[in-house]
Amino acid sequence: MNNRLASLWLIVVALLLGHQVYLWRGLHITPDTDIMALLPVQQRDPVLQMSFTHMVDAAQQRVIVLVGAADWEDAKRAADAYTRVLAAQPAVLVTATLNEQTQQDWLALFQQHRLILITAAQQQQLQNESETFWTDAALRQLYSPFSGPKLGAWRDDPFGLFAGWVQERAQETPVRPRDGYLSVSDAQFQYVLLSLTVHDSVFGMGTQNQVTTLLDQARTEALKAVPKADLITAGVVLHAAAAGQQASGEIWTIGFGSLLGIILLTWLTFHALKPTALILLSISIGCLGALSICWLLFGHIHLLTLVFGASLIGVAQDYGIFFLAHRLHADPKLGSADLLQRLLPSLTLTLVAAVIGYMGLAFTPFPGLRNMAVFSAIGLIFAWLTVLCWFPKLVGPGTVRSGNLVRWYDRLLQRWPRWRNNRTGWLALLLLLGVTVTFISQLRSNDDIRLLQNSPPKLIADQIRLSRLLDAPTPVQFFLVRAESEQQLLEREEALKRHLEPLIDQKKISGYQAVSNWVPSAHAQQLRIALVQQKLLGGALTGLAKQIDADPDWLKDARAHLQQSGSILIVEQFLASPASEPWRHLWLGKTVDGYASIVALRGLGQHDLDAVRQAGDGQPGVQWVDKVAEISGVLGQYRHYMGWVVLCSTLVIAALLSLRYGRATWRVLLPTVLASLLTLALLGLTQQPVQLFHVLAFMLLLGIGVDYGIFMQESGGSNVAPAWLATGLSAANTLLSFGLLALSQTPALRAFGMTMLSGITLVWFIVPFFRKEHQHGNN
Amino acid sequence: MNRLVLVSALFCCAVAQAQVSPVVAQIQTMLAKPATLCGHFDQTKNLAGMKKPLLSNGRFCVINGKGVLWRTLQPFPSTLRLTRDEIVNFQGDRVAMRLDASKEPTVRMINSVLFSLLSGDLSQLDTVFVVDGKVTGSSWHVGLNARAPGLAKAIGVISLDGAAYVNTIHMDEASGDKTTIQFSAIQTGEAALQPADAALFR
Repeated sequence: MNNRLASLWLIVVALLLGHQVYLWRGLHITPDTDIMALLPVQQRDPVLQMSFTHMVDAAQQRVIVLVGAADWEDAKRAADAYTRVLAAQPAVLVTATLNEQTQQDWLALFQQHRLILITAAQQQQLQNESETFWTDAALRQLYSPFSGPKLGAWRDDPFGLFAGWVQERAQETPVRPRDGYLSVSDAQFQYVLLSLTVHDSVFGMGTQNQVTTLLDQARTEALKAVPKADLITAGVVLHAAAAGQQASGEIWTIGFGSLLGIILLTWLTFHALKPTALILLSISIGCLGALSICWLLFGHIHLLTLVFGASLIGVAQDYGIFFLAHRLHADPKLGSADLLQRLLPSLTLTLVAAVIGYMGLAFTPFPGLRNMAVFSAIGLIFAWLTVLCWFPKLVGPGTVRSGNLVRWYDRLLQRWPRWRNNRTGWLALLLLLGVTVTFISQLRSNDDIRLLQNSPPKLIADQIRLSRLLDAPTPVQFFLVRAESEQQLLEREEALKRHLEPLIDQKKISGYQAVSNWVPSAHAQQLRIALVQQKLLGGALTGLAKQIDADPDWLKDARAHLQQSGSILIVEQFLASPASEPWRHLWLGKTVDGYASIVALRGLGQHDLDAVRQAGDGQPGVQWVDKVAEISGVLGQYRHYMGWVVLCSTLVIAALLSLRYGRATWRVLLPTVLASLLTLALLGLTQQPVQLFHVLAFMLLLGIGVDYGIFMQESGGSNVAPAWLATGLSAANTLLSFGLLALSQTPALRAFGMTMLSGITLVWFIVPFFRKEHQHGNN
Repeated sequence: MNRLVLVSALFCCAVAQAQVSPVVAQIQTMLAKPATLCGHFDQTKNLAGMKKPLLSNGRFCVINGKGVLWRTLQPFPSTLRLTRDEIVNFQGDRVAMRLDASKEPTVRMINSVLFSLLSGDLSQLDTVFVVDGKVTGSSWHVGLNARAPGLAKAIGVISLDGAAYVNTIHMDEASGDKTTIQFSAIQTGEAALQPADAALFR
């Protein structure tokens, strides 16, 4: 029977390994990283997704470098040294080059339509001002010095309207072409702007290393050429690389430390290393099984599922440890198979409690949580089956030997006080609860994704300087505009822009970018032509001819010449011209149910978000999009649901346990509940805002804590020592593996680690207080 | 004025700075290059499609380290002041237009080019234009062709004539518009600044 079970399990594990090889080598699966994929399906909006793709995806691959110096020639020299290094490895970073043809041609399209391209302010003036005003304006232009160099002949644009429009467009960015470079400057420095595109995905560790190494080399060369050069670098890849470096550094310190600690502890306990290997084996099979089954069921897996799911399987070590601890204390004559038979009820109960607990995650509407529920439950079952099928074969009576540490630890329990049902007992409990409730009442929550960011200050400082210098719009906060037709879309953009205008005056934003800045709606264009015809081509032009003493032929020619450039400009023409290159991402065009576009905001301060968002309120087809808030929202919803799952799971587990323990159920559950409450109180005391990663740790804490309660409760009358040892060993391992994460510099891991550190220590400490009464007499 | 900004926005694609030719170096030595330079100007414009030239005149000042002042007096009074950080157009006391360098980065470049044009600083102009010079006795003539094709297309050819100071600027545009500015009554030193000029630079 046992042999058959073990062989059967071997076949299952072999199949599992085969499937894994197929998944990673054959299918090349990669976990989803898009946090929006964690939202319930009906909440996802394809047009919104498309807008993110347009705004974020391109920005994500880009690295912007500013190479500056007080003197422009120095800046160019430093930039040349910089790009020489990059040019040597075009497969890593592609440097955008200025196209001379584009530079020359970019006005060509607009010149054909110059009569209708005028600014909003000019349009206002056209409506309000007299014909004399315009005659005077034209004369001023005419006599002002150096009006020689211009966008064509004077008669092309005598009133300076088109020139004003082009200038307004030019001011949408402070970046200027200069000597074949792109340039921006502040009072101190003149910078060459380099726009680099990372060739491969910026989330690959290999790519990150290549890019940072190359950029460092380039920086060194630039500084060699011009020692006083100022370099500003920004890009998603740099943040990803910094996070990656930190993580791999921590894997070496925290990871190595915890592994060493666990091996040492196992050695001191069992005087053998095999137990560590066995426990790792059971957990690994659990993880692989979970991944395979999840993939078969869902066809994809999210990174968050993988990370959290794998940690929840941490509970799985308890099964192996429980068995090994009993093996240590059991009579050597007792066979391992018989020992397992005896332990089966406890083991089954711990598994069922954990699986039922985690299944609660499956009842939330979030695909990520469902994924996680299945992943954890399957993982636990696989690990549990490994213990059941293989451990009796692999662990004999001689595999483990007791030692000083175990004896000392055993004696510890004998002196451990017990909570008693008397005045002192209740007073202590009430006092504890009072303090706990006080601090818990001070708990706050904060799901802001930026709390989880942990980029080096230098990177953030560079980012801030860069966005100030470039005055570029943020890719994560913008207006999404939808309409049934292209014209309606342009009109809606124009309506939104009218509401944004006051915000520019109030300095809440510095400007906006939209396709309608370049191509006004047909309606607006017709309005302008009518105005120009009425105000300028009639009286003002005649007045001008009189003032400059021109002959009647001139007037006729001039009027005809101006009217030639009055045809309507359409979006298609604009998108086809080289001038639209920097703005094409704003135009989503035809979508599943109409047309959509983006109005991006420059100089948006994070304090003024509310005011800016309200500008779009009540406007048809206009939606405020805030990816930061959206992601924070997803995290918040997950925290919220998960919190309820922890609570409900506790109740379900209580009900389940009461089937077996009846009125003694509280002894099993109370240590975990107390430890959780105290940990919450600790968070309140230290003013740490609660977020998803804390709640997740509470979930794990529940799974592990209940195991300890069951162990202590199950060890029948005579000998509580193996259960106490299993609890201690499991707790110490958990502290070494998850608790050490409290030392991490990554905020999410630190939050998780802190909770585990405090929670597990407390459960371990509290569990013996509530051990069964009658055993005391036996000792 | 707006046009100037635009044109400077097109300053681009110039090749690396060429060697200063001997003729240019010689002209440099002929120029007086005072710290402050004021004088009278007469501007003649011939516009495409118009037979009669348009005439205007006024005062100008070039102050080293401060900027350029251009005061058209006839037929329409209008003052233009260019400094490192802004370009301002006054109509009487009223500010008709103001361009801030922080908003429009090319302001600094415009100032620099204009300053160079009016003071005849050929070494500076050399970064933007191909400078072709000729010296005849105590006077000289210089032709300027923009290095950037886009700019050349917009402004055409500029030529300067002068001796110790620039005497004439001639601009021949591709569009057919022509402008000639003649300088006279040039004064130098602090005394050259009239109270009205100085007031604008306070």
